[in-house]
Amino acid sequence: MKKLAYIFTLMLIVAACSGSDDSDNGSGSTPDNYNRAAMQTNLADNIIIPRYQDLKTGLETLATLGDTFTATPNQTNLDNLRAAFVNAYKDWQLVEPFNIGQAEVLQYSFQMNVYPTTTADIEANIANGTYDLTAVGNNDAVGFPAVDYMLHGIAATDTEILNKYATSNYAAYLTDLIAQMNSLTQTVLTDWTTNYRAVFISSTSNTVSSAVNKFINDYIFYYEKGLRANKFGIPAGVFSTNPLADKAEAVYNGTISRDLSIIALDNVQNIFNGKATSTSPTGEGFYNYLIELDRADLATLINTRINNARQKIQVLNADLKTQVETDNTKMTEAYDALQLVVISFKVDMLQAFNVSVDYVDADGD
Amino acid sequence: MKKFVLGLATLATLGFTSCNSDDDGGTPVVTNNVTAPDTYVFERDAASTVSFGGQTTRIQMAQEIVSGLVNTANTELTLDNMFAHVENANDFSDAALNASDKSVRSKVAASTDYFAANTTDASVIKSTFDLYIQDQVNNVFPNWATTATSGVAGQIQQAGGGSTRYVNAKGLEYNQAFAKSLIGALMVDQILNNYLSTAVLDAGDNVANNNADVLDGTNNYTTMEHKWDEAFGYLYGNEDNPAVPVLEADKFLSEYLAKVDGDDDFSGIALDVFNAFKLGRAAIVAKDYDVRDAQAEIIRAKISQVIAVRGIYYLQQGKANLGTDMASAFHALSEAYGFVYSLQFTRKPGTTEPYLTKDEVLLLTDQLMTGNGFWDITPATLDTISDTISAEFSFTTAQAGS
Repeated sequence: MKKLAYIFTLMLIVAACSGSDDSDNGSGSTPDNYNRAAMQTNLADNIIIPRYQDLKTGLETLATLGDTFTATPNQTNLDNLRAAFVNAYKDWQLVEPFNIGQAEVLQYSFQMNVYPTTTADIEANIANGTYDLTAVGNNDAVGFPAVDYMLHGIAATDTEILNKYATSNYAAYLTDLIAQMNSLTQTVLTDWTTNYRAVFISSTSNTVSSAVNKFINDYIFYYEKGLRANKFGIPAGVFSTNPLADKAEAVYNGTISRDLSIIALDNVQNIFNGKATSTSPTGEGFYNYLIELDRADLATLINTRINNARQKIQVLNADLKTQVETDNTKMTEAYDALQLVVISFKVDMLQAFNVSVDYVDADGD
Repeated sequence: MKKFVLGLATLATLGFTSCNSDDDGGTPVVTNNVTAPDTYVFERDAASTVSFGGQTTRIQMAQEIVSGLVNTANTELTLDNMFAHVENANDFSDAALNASDKSVRSKVAASTDYFAANTTDASVIKSTFDLYIQDQVNNVFPNWATTATSGVAGQIQQAGGGSTRYVNAKGLEYNQAFAKSLIGALMVDQILNNYLSTAVLDAGDNVANNNADVLDGTNNYTTMEHKWDEAFGYLYGNEDNPAVPVLEADKFLSEYLAKVDGDDDFSGIALDVFNAFKLGRAAIVAKDYDVRDAQAEIIRAKISQVIAVRGIYYLQQGKANLGTDMASAFHALSEAYGFVYSLQFTRKPGTTEPYLTKDEVLLLTDQLMTGNGFWDITPATLDTISDTISAEFSFTTAQAGS
């Protein structure tokens, strides 16, 4: 942010002083003929709502297997529950970019995937037996990272974990966590199908508060923060003096964080291309929008850069925490490749769309 | 991060270069043939004449004090001693600071223009900082593990597993109030109302000595040159290379000038301030005091603007988070509280008045602290306070708040 501001200042000085060629570019005066409503409709009907439905199904399975497990805490039921957790966590990756509508109102992603989870808070909640899982201060004691801890991290061995569930407080906390995730997801999904879809596909003006502009910003913010920083930059130590391996995703499971990040990156690319899945045809979305604006160069470059970043991720250890601890250079290389996409999105694509960034970096103090 | 930032001086140079090649009759800056150098480098007999060690020391002391305010191992006496340090007392982690005879407290509300004949207000202001320390140690430290609620001091966590904030019973973070109030009471007051003041620059024989190149004792500078540099030092004194500042070198004025510059509505302000410091200093070397004083007025206007913009920005940030994320709201409002307090040290160009007087400022801070303070505050009140401030400046609440 800051360095860009200086570079922009420099550009302004040069532009203002560099002679008489009055080409008036970049002022947004060019009319934009892209059919934003068609893009929003494709996003809502083929991508956003179906992904929420998938997640809801995954969470219902998780709840069912959770009930089975807490009723009979044995190894088979634990294994089945863990598998359902991994599946639902994968489904989650596909909706995390959509921080709009009820998801924004509820601060849904803060209640679903804040990691690292604070295990001391979880243990305190369990010990107390009373808690408000929706409290802001519990954002780091709920959601997938908390379930990850409950299924893999509360004791050193599976036998000891199973013993913990002989205590009713552990079972109750696990049940409550999963119920809360189901309830939130149902609220967000219902709002999409009964209310917000109509708003989303009709609010297409180029203003800071329109659904299109907010969605574009949310998408880029997710890419920059949720994907690039949280999954790679923070554990790799890009923002700190030393690497912070324990801040990787799904650390208690310890085998899925790379795959979650690839799913997340595939999802970013599919949204960009307006595709429901990686094998679907290109639909209305940011790619076509750029084509309409005569920016095939940028549209192609973004896909190339995402593909390059994916290659850097595919060579990593299945557990990104382990990767940081064994060869962090490969992590920072993946981060660097992801960062190139941030520049393409946040500077070049937003300029092409003539959309302003609606978020600023936090103070950090 | 910083290594990628182009130094302000580089920009200044490029700006001049590109404009000089543009011969379409653009209005040049009237400088009576005083030319500012590209960087803040001034020499006599091939040796630097620039010195502001005391300012660097106070900035660094202030950073340790602010950190100390959230270390519950500290007693009130420890923190008081850091604030009012005496030479060779073992108050800081840095031996050089301990050896110094400088203190932060002695320069709080201590400018010649505002406080030389107003020790009454100066005492009240100094004791306000003492009270922040006292209340933090006696009322917040004992509640460090308590969950804060309306009327109860304690801790409160930001959304998304964010930072935990430690607040008093009204939701105020004393460490933030202290740090942001200090920007006004120390940095802004010393720069605008002391070292850039003609009462200081031209005191005693300063003009005659500067005209005749009579140096200050064994130093390589004239007293007037040094006074100007001391103003410079309160903004740029913690830079790795102050001749080419990159800003964000401390958590005080340096950081927030950069933040305001990063807002599109105010971009360029950092360069304006730096250019005015350079040109004013060059004017002293050239013995042109009209040009010098014109630069002082530019600096007064711009730095006053930084305080107001940041105050409004945090009021609006607080408003945006009220209800959904109280810890984030309280954090922003605590910063706002300090910036609003700092407005009494600003300086309207061409006058000896602040943009908002002490009494006007206290009316605003009182509104923030009414009843249970931030727990009770309404968006309407935050907008009213924002608008009261922006009405005194040439920008809108919306411009400052984004």
